[in-house]
Amino acid sequence: MAAPLSRLCRPLWRITTTGTLNKGVRNVSSSRQQNVKTAGVASPWALHGAVCLQRLPVVSQDRSPIEEEFMELMHQMELERSLLSDHELRLLEDAARMSRKQEEDYDSDEEEEDYRDKEIVTAQDLEDIWEQKLKLFQPAPRSQGVDEKDMGSSERCLADSLILLVKKDVGSQKLWLLPQIQWQTGETLRQTAERALASLPGADIKATFLGNAPCGFYKYKYPKHIQKEGSVGAKVFFFKAVLPSHKHLPLEKNLFAWVKKEELQDFLKPEYLKQVRRFIMAL
Amino acid sequence: MRLTGHLCQICQKEERIIKLRLQWYQLVLLLQNTRALVCAASSLQSQVLTKQMPLGVLLTNRHYRSMPTHGIGRYRHLLPKALPKKKKEKVQAKQIKAATATEFGVFNVCVSGYDMTLVEHYSQYIHNLCNHLDIRVDESCALPTKTTEVMVMQEQGTKMYVDAVLKTHERIVQISEMKATLFPIFMEVILKNQPEGVRLCLKQHTEADYQARFKTRPELEGLLAKINN
Repeated sequence: MAAPLSRLCRPLWRITTTGTLNKGVRNVSSSRQQNVKTAGVASPWALHGAVCLQRLPVVSQDRSPIEEEFMELMHQMELERSLLSDHELRLLEDAARMSRKQEEDYDSDEEEEDYRDKEIVTAQDLEDIWEQKLKLFQPAPRSQGVDEKDMGSSERCLADSLILLVKKDVGSQKLWLLPQIQWQTGETLRQTAERALASLPGADIKATFLGNAPCGFYKYKYPKHIQKEGSVGAKVFFFKAVLPSHKHLPLEKNLFAWVKKEELQDFLKPEYLKQVRRFIMAL
Repeated sequence: MRLTGHLCQICQKEERIIKLRLQWYQLVLLLQNTRALVCAASSLQSQVLTKQMPLGVLLTNRHYRSMPTHGIGRYRHLLPKALPKKKKEKVQAKQIKAATATEFGVFNVCVSGYDMTLVEHYSQYIHNLCNHLDIRVDESCALPTKTTEVMVMQEQGTKMYVDAVLKTHERIVQISEMKATLFPIFMEVILKNQPEGVRLCLKQHTEADYQARFKTRPELEGLLAKINN
């Protein structure tokens, strides 16, 4: 995999090459470098790292009626065009042998060596045994029986991918956001995002981060009465992460939500939603 | 005897002369015919043709001897030059590119599972996705199928008998020089479209992986060992 990035300047510089991010970043990078060299000149923008944690779909999506019909048709065509397998040939031979045995002028010497006067397991018997075994098999259920509307459970819609949202106090309001945390000097933005994930109250979630490059960016200004000399607003960089399994995680219902892409608009603010939507794929 | 021989020679010579003359007359006739045709066809080019031109000018490059249709089916000279068949070259191991700061090196996407149609379709899907995103695919190949026999212990007794035979199919898509910024997007698309029953694995490509694809040649190795010992 790519060499781990230890210096902060490099990831910021490389960000300018990706298409999803604003031009404002360039200012930040230059001021960051200045900050490293001369202590005291801080950027007016606070940096935050956020994580877009996704639970991947567990089962395949249900087919639409047209797709069902087409699948049936293709199966039938394949069946009609196919040749008989060994097992089916054996079935036919056994059936022929049985019918020969029933005839009056049956001469057992005419049979082949292997099938004379022996207790053989016919192919039909094998099929019956296999069917019995199949009845004992229980496939895993396609839905875990969790209510579709229960946002707190990560086993909600197993056919779609879900994103984790967190309710946080920002200033005076409580907002639904992707988990984010302020950047500290000396760490890479990806480490910030990992810290954001680890700092969530609740079970420690083990997630795999996909790459060192951020996938999205959001910039907001603080309200006027908070804006001081040095701080104008904050810039948030999003990183993508993937949950390895869909086991039920004990997370508080009111603070956390697992949400599909279509449901995001009920939770997020419009400006924030616009930026976040750009990097979330509903596949 | 000598006279007759001499006469014969003279006869042969005369024959040859007569033949040559015949050919010459035929040539002249033909050329006159063609000249007439050309005159009739292009009256615009009258300047060239009304002049008394020597017959040699209208002589074309036709390779015909006596038959006018000689060489009429010649086409080999129009085909591109076919190079001589070269012997099969020994397969060289490709240099494995190392990773740089912005690009990954060579890595393998291994797709494996029991259902061959699913595995193959998924590997084809990954390959097409790479083509669409302009990601360089070095190789797309299959590893040998591994057969697993599931043995079940009999209820009474210690003998095991074969219950089922499972075949694990594996396909590899080898990708090189992938940009680190594109990788998360690529990974997400692959993971979200992974079918049920198919295992996905991303591995760094090593020399050992490459060598594992080759079959061993036991006789050759035996002979080499004998030579060395």
